[in-house]
Amino acid sequence: MYSSTGKGAEVAGSRSVRVPFKWRKWNTILHRDIGYLVVGLTLVYGISGIAVNHTADWNPSYHVEKRTMQIEPIVEEQREAIVRAALDRLGLTEDPQNTFRPDPETLQLFFEQEMYAIDLPTGKVVVEAVQPRRVLFEFNQLHLNAPKRVWTYIADLYAAALIVVAITGLFVLKGRTGITGRGAWLTAMGVLVPVLYWLYYIYLP
Amino acid sequence: MKHPVAVLLVVVLVVCSALAGSPKKYGKEITLKEPTRVSAILADPEKYNGKKVLVEGAVVDVCKKRGCWIRLASDKEFESIRFKVEDGVIVFPMEAKGKTARAEGVVSVKTYSVEDLVAQGKEHAKEQGTAFDPSTVKGPKTVVQINGEGAVVK
Repeated sequence: MYSSTGKGAEVAGSRSVRVPFKWRKWNTILHRDIGYLVVGLTLVYGISGIAVNHTADWNPSYHVEKRTMQIEPIVEEQREAIVRAALDRLGLTEDPQNTFRPDPETLQLFFEQEMYAIDLPTGKVVVEAVQPRRVLFEFNQLHLNAPKRVWTYIADLYAAALIVVAITGLFVLKGRTGITGRGAWLTAMGVLVPVLYWLYYIYLP
Repeated sequence: MKHPVAVLLVVVLVVCSALAGSPKKYGKEITLKEPTRVSAILADPEKYNGKKVLVEGAVVDVCKKRGCWIRLASDKEFESIRFKVEDGVIVFPMEAKGKTARAEGVVSVKTYSVEDLVAQGKEHAKEQGTAFDPSTVKGPKTVVQINGEGAVVK
């Protein structure tokens, strides 16, 4: 590619000299500046990626704490009386957001970040407190595209930017450490990792 | 601008505090005006099978791992219905538990074999981190749920 403008393009007289387009310079600029732009999102997706990869072992977004309590059994029969008795016995002054009876022996009281499940005949109470994990919750919500709408397009742009960073990264250096030297081997190794693992996944038990 | 990051953080905090506490929309817009009672659906599921309904109720449970379903309390004691959404299409946060939801979707009625129910029970227990006893499954079961399209939680 050649540019007809730029420094030295016009020479005195009638002749104009075409200066070669400095693609490697622009490649480096693109790689550098898009690289800066994607740092924030890469941290979000990278950290969240590790977290959500292990959902079988832990809850990556919430810290769920359960504790048990014992209160006097509740013998009241009407729903309102049951709720009132439960609140009294638990020493709670705030009204719950909602209440629910999944079966005749259980009452659930829902508060902002706690749920009390009371076994009415025995008075055994299980308190479940749910707290979003700081920072990780937000990272995971963004990673899993919970917000939808505009975030979908931001995520698309980010993915496209990563592709540009990857491709421009191949051509930043030239010579022995560039794509014609060590870079070729490292790039091939990186490509082979998913290819070989996929073959292993498909063909081996 | 000397501290662009600080300015950005202040803007984010102001927007977040302005939006906090407002009803949260999930998925598609709700189109139906008149809600259907959950108890009516559960009393005669075949009548509603395949039909779009709008239901209202307390959110009494949420999928802990993926936020891919919520369980809504019925207007009748000891009843609830699962509002299932496609994984990743809608993600319900656990904070939705205890709040009140208006949810729209299509009623689905399916009968599961014992084998299916045991497999589902194991999967659900794993997901919720609880124990599951296969001997609790006594026979085939008809499951009524709403395949969710959109919801508003407040």
